[in-house]
Amino acid sequence: MSVDLATKSLLHDKLRFLITVSGVAFAVTLVFVQVGLFLGLMDNASLTINHLDADLWVTSHNTANIDFSHTFSETYIKRVRSIPGVARADNLIVWFMNVSLPNGAVEGTEVYALEDFSRWNFPWNVVDGNVTDLRRGNYIVVDDSAKKRWGAFEVGEYREVLGRRLKIIGRSINALSFTTTPLTFMDYRLAQSLNPDDLRGNTTYILVKVAPGANVEQVRAEIRHRLPYNDVFTRDEWANRSRTYWIQSTGLGLNMYLTVFLGCLVGIVVVAQTLYTSTMEHIKEFGTVKAIGGGNADIYSILAKQATIAAVAGFALGAVMSYALRPVIEKINLKLVIPTPLSVAVFIGSILLCLAAAMISFRKVASIDPALVFRT
Amino acid sequence: MILQAHNVEKHFTEGRESVAVLKGIDFAVDRGEIVSLEGPSGSGKTTFLSILGCILTPTSGDVVIDGVAANAKRLNDIRKRSLGFVFQQFNLFPSLTAVENVEYALNVKGIRGAAARTEAERVIEAVDLVERKNFLPRDLSGGQKQRVAIARALAGSAPILLADEPTANLDSTVGTQVLEMFRTLAKKENRALVIVTHDPKVRSVADRVVKIHDGRLAA
Repeated sequence: MSVDLATKSLLHDKLRFLITVSGVAFAVTLVFVQVGLFLGLMDNASLTINHLDADLWVTSHNTANIDFSHTFSETYIKRVRSIPGVARADNLIVWFMNVSLPNGAVEGTEVYALEDFSRWNFPWNVVDGNVTDLRRGNYIVVDDSAKKRWGAFEVGEYREVLGRRLKIIGRSINALSFTTTPLTFMDYRLAQSLNPDDLRGNTTYILVKVAPGANVEQVRAEIRHRLPYNDVFTRDEWANRSRTYWIQSTGLGLNMYLTVFLGCLVGIVVVAQTLYTSTMEHIKEFGTVKAIGGGNADIYSILAKQATIAAVAGFALGAVMSYALRPVIEKINLKLVIPTPLSVAVFIGSILLCLAAAMISFRKVASIDPALVFRT
Repeated sequence: MILQAHNVEKHFTEGRESVAVLKGIDFAVDRGEIVSLEGPSGSGKTTFLSILGCILTPTSGDVVIDGVAANAKRLNDIRKRSLGFVFQQFNLFPSLTAVENVEYALNVKGIRGAAARTEAERVIEAVDLVERKNFLPRDLSGGQKQRVAIARALAGSAPILLADEPTANLDSTVGTQVLEMFRTLAKKENRALVIVTHDPKVRSVADRVVKIHDGRLAA
């Protein structure tokens, strides 16, 4: 064991240590919150795609994302179902419709319409009612997130969608879209009848489940061959395409990168400044280290260790603050997604950031003249 | 001789001019010998001490320490192995206790773990600071701080101790006590001790007084 001058010296000035750690914690929190919110929004952008049990998605040509759908003939389904390797295929309508509320206001809803929801395990989190009942009449299942826009509702109540009274027979939770428009689930034919001008005889997507053992790429190639004016995506491709649309069209990605950059910049400036000030104040001590036989490497190791301690403590504080913010953020219907790889990346990034900040001090101590120990 | 300097010159550049601070000094110290190096301000005594301490290199001339010629590549190693310093301002690490200050110096010299702790305890006891060994420098008096600095210089087996105005920041009584202790320990452990000073009290503990004037040893 050696005397730990780095740690003792760092903790000796508690206020400076607190400022250094706060600088790192600020940067860590900013990165976690910004990236976490971004990932939460991106998660919403492809949430329904990820939960629908489809291997392939047939869309109209150049559809940008799941929310902004375009119609094509529903009869294409027959061409898809006849392809060897297709276990099942169904039409899916995703369409925005207006809802008249009891208070006279009109709100929007994003309708998901299927003939048989249970076959696609969708919606995935029904807390009240049964989706198989949707095909029995003018019924809807509404996600609980609609309460924020529509006001409170209960199963058994009615809401007017495009002028028709529909009974709420169930509720789902956590079915969200990037647009924040509440999701409503209804029978496929009901959706068509509500908006015949656009939807009669038309669908917006075809969901395809590939048979066990069948080659997905071969099935996709055959669908493309038979539907040359449509696009065919795997689930991951389609989810990625939907997310990419929002990132690029809203500037969300640029915004996130800018904020992360600024967070890191603020962190690095605070850490660099406090470490540099500390180095300058301890310059005579470093001169003493050199005078008693220590080299630059000894002093570099002291600074590097101090930077690393500041990084670890700052990361811990920043992570705690970020996790503490999660319930607050959820109250405003946003998600803060902090996956393990992000935590690992931010941890490593914090250490690299602090070591980079210490480089300025490295340059200073390299030029220390040990003769300064003789100066008063 | 444990320490030899032959024809040492040192020039500094000020603007376009080269100023000769040391002008050909010959100097030698034997083991167990205590030398007081005296001279007025600006005479070059601290520069000379810095050269003897392998902190500065001479412009010309030779310095041999413990049988090793001091050249630019070896200065660090020589400082680690053969030299112990005591500074006017004590230069203790404020975040380390008295015994840790000594132990850290041993760590820098490559002595670690229990060996370092045992040696640090030994020299702290030698300077009579056992009861204050766990005190931070801020909680020690000036005399106690200088005793810690002496303990740090003594720690290990450096055969040469160099002290720069060790009594300048101490009152007369404490300064005398510190010098007596320094002399006793240096003699007991057969270390050479060179003290740069203005303080006439140092003469009373020195075996020999050497005066520097205007960059030369005075007769």
